[in-house]
Amino acid sequence: MAHVSYEQRIRCLLFYLSVAIFLVGLPLILSVALGYKFNYRKLQLTKTGLIVLKTQPPGAKIYCDNKLVTEKTPTTVNSLLPGIYNIRVELDKHYPWSNAVTVEAGKITRLEKIILFPLRPNIDRMDKEIIHGSWISLEENSIYYADKEERGIYISDLQGENYERIAYFLPISEPVLGWKLSPDYQKVLYFNTHQIGASYLKLHKEDGLDLPPFAINYEGDRIIDVFWHSDSYHIIVITSKNIGVIEARPNAGFISLMALNKNDTSAIYDIRTDTLYFFDAQQGADGNVYDNLYKLEVGPKTSPFKELIGRKANE
Amino acid sequence: MSKRSSLERFLEIMPGALSWGIIIFMLFLSFKSPVICAVSIIVFDFYWIIRTVYLTTLLVMAHRKLSFQQKRNWLIQCQQLNPKYDWQKIYHLVIFPVYKEGLDILRPSLQGLKKCTYPKDKMIVVLSFEERHAPSGEYAWVLEDEFKGEFFGYITTFHPDGLPGEMRTKGANATWAAKKAKEFIDEKNIPYEDVVISCFDADTCVDKEYFGCLAYHFLTADNPHRKSYQPIPVYHNNIWYAPSFARLVEISSSFCQFIESMRLEKFVTFSSHSMSFKTLVKINYWPTDMISDDSVVYWKAFLYYKGDYRVVPLYITVSMDVAYARGFFKTIAVQYKQKRRWAWGIENFPFFMERALCNKDIPLTTIIRKAYHLLDSHITWAIWAVIIVMIAPLPILCGGHIFNQTTIGYNLPRITGLLLQFTLLTSIGWVLFSMIILPPRPPEVKWTKNVVIILEWIIVPFIILILGSTPALDAQTRLMLGKYMEFYTTEKKRK
Repeated sequence: MAHVSYEQRIRCLLFYLSVAIFLVGLPLILSVALGYKFNYRKLQLTKTGLIVLKTQPPGAKIYCDNKLVTEKTPTTVNSLLPGIYNIRVELDKHYPWSNAVTVEAGKITRLEKIILFPLRPNIDRMDKEIIHGSWISLEENSIYYADKEERGIYISDLQGENYERIAYFLPISEPVLGWKLSPDYQKVLYFNTHQIGASYLKLHKEDGLDLPPFAINYEGDRIIDVFWHSDSYHIIVITSKNIGVIEARPNAGFISLMALNKNDTSAIYDIRTDTLYFFDAQQGADGNVYDNLYKLEVGPKTSPFKELIGRKANE
Repeated sequence: MSKRSSLERFLEIMPGALSWGIIIFMLFLSFKSPVICAVSIIVFDFYWIIRTVYLTTLLVMAHRKLSFQQKRNWLIQCQQLNPKYDWQKIYHLVIFPVYKEGLDILRPSLQGLKKCTYPKDKMIVVLSFEERHAPSGEYAWVLEDEFKGEFFGYITTFHPDGLPGEMRTKGANATWAAKKAKEFIDEKNIPYEDVVISCFDADTCVDKEYFGCLAYHFLTADNPHRKSYQPIPVYHNNIWYAPSFARLVEISSSFCQFIESMRLEKFVTFSSHSMSFKTLVKINYWPTDMISDDSVVYWKAFLYYKGDYRVVPLYITVSMDVAYARGFFKTIAVQYKQKRRWAWGIENFPFFMERALCNKDIPLTTIIRKAYHLLDSHITWAIWAVIIVMIAPLPILCGGHIFNQTTIGYNLPRITGLLLQFTLLTSIGWVLFSMIILPPRPPEVKWTKNVVIILEWIIVPFIILILGSTPALDAQTRLMLGKYMEFYTTEKKRK
């Protein structure tokens, strides 16, 4: 029998210890990985499920069937036997969230889109003056404000800072139905049922567009909505009886593109393709009147608009 | 190259087929049954962490033993031995097979021998140059002029190119050198059993106590002719000047040798090693047509003595060069080729198995155990990084929505992450050891290099990707396809 050194005996011991740790530890790790839990009542391994909880903001307390879970969100509630659990999430100064959640064996139930709303919402006043209208341009990271008394249009950043006047506008009768910024960010239009006003923004003085504001009176039918055309010069006008086009200049005339059967229609304008989607009524073969969705292309390549649309103010 | 038998070809194909089989099977599972794949990955990762902790403990033990034994004066230990062990009759035959190494490499190796405490009149040095390398003649002349009178024998020889049955390998040169030395030994009437031969890589610088330590172990071993003697190779010659990447790889290689020195049942000779000259002659020297001559010589002796042969670890270091070249990518290529050459050691498996299976005197259990050790180390080497780095994320990526909604799909990245973090903790021990085993910093190297050496461990995951499994997989695939490797001399540089 060869002499076995002290180190080799230690190594042998370590080897068998490692084997023992592997043999004991592996079933434990695998049972955790596969979601098995020893059920002491039934004295058997039972497959469990788990709930993944994420909240916005994080750090909320979790109650699972009214029992407080040690961890706060975001966390995972492990080893849950299959069944329905009443999950409640609580955070100071926020509305609690609760729901009955079904846990299935070997499956994850994800509750990852929980928003805990504050009891007192965090509201900041953005404007510095009394305003009568505002609109946001996310492309320019700007907020625009209209002050009727001062007849001014103001601009600030999205935090309400760097507030400054950038244009004047001509007042029109109340109520003003909307404010719309042109696609080139140089003009803003506003309208009521019979008037359309437009104002050139000071920001673009260098472009030679420091023109005075103007308003167009429309004596015809009631204006429902207006849209900028992609050329930032023509305005698509939806009235209670027609769809038409008007140029953004003083004393411009209204050109009717088509008559509408439906009063008070609604429309959506896709500026990327210069396409107007609108509802109109039509009588069916059975004599009943049905609402249909129509598409009207008013792009510069579409006849007759290729001649009409696409021209600029000085053309 | 001799014609291979069907059995040998089968044995050559086996390691590569097993490695690729495991990888392909795991890939298949990750698509077809991600749950089983995930379970397999967790099992492997857990096995890997326990193995890492176990091996790190062995590293600590081996280092402790080295620290203790390196302080000993081995020559005095020899002198204090029982008179029945006559240490003065022992001759050390030292062979340096040389290929393209120049004087900057060879001179320090010979100076290392000269500085040894062991009596030089008991040392025979053989420098065996390759005849095909033209500048060798000049090197031989310069070195002979410098070292000829320093030892009992100093032989310079030139190994002819293209001898029958030979490949261009280090083993062929070493065998030529040993045969030349045999002529000298015969001439001096020195009994073979009194000669211990050490075959060193050309860049090997020995510890001054090396031959005393070797003589002590040779004299006190039971049946010393049935043993090889393996020092611990460290790569200290140029380690302070080598790029981080190469330095780290070689430190890790040293660690592997530390660890292997503790696992005696699978300990095989590697690189610079020593053995009985009598045994070497009996087994007909090193193989002349195989690249991994350093380990095949062990298997030849093992087969010759019917399994009664083992390697004795010497807890003393021999220092070699870190392999590197000019430029980062060239260094990666040099390191890759060196590791692939080491991984080509898998050729030992068919070599051993074919002969062992025909040898009725070796117990089948011994053959199976040795075969398992060979396959285990080489296959693990070829697949571990692939599994941990590339296959582990696949069940999540390929398992689809259904798998990701399961408990194991959720737990897999968390558990494997946790296990690997634990493995990283053991790496801290490796970082500390890398500092401890370093030679003193040369005066011209700034102290900040110490910080760099610690920080460079951050690039370990990158190294694992390139040099973890790929060279081993490459070597096994070549053997599997019968595309046999040729010997590649590693490029080394000294400042």
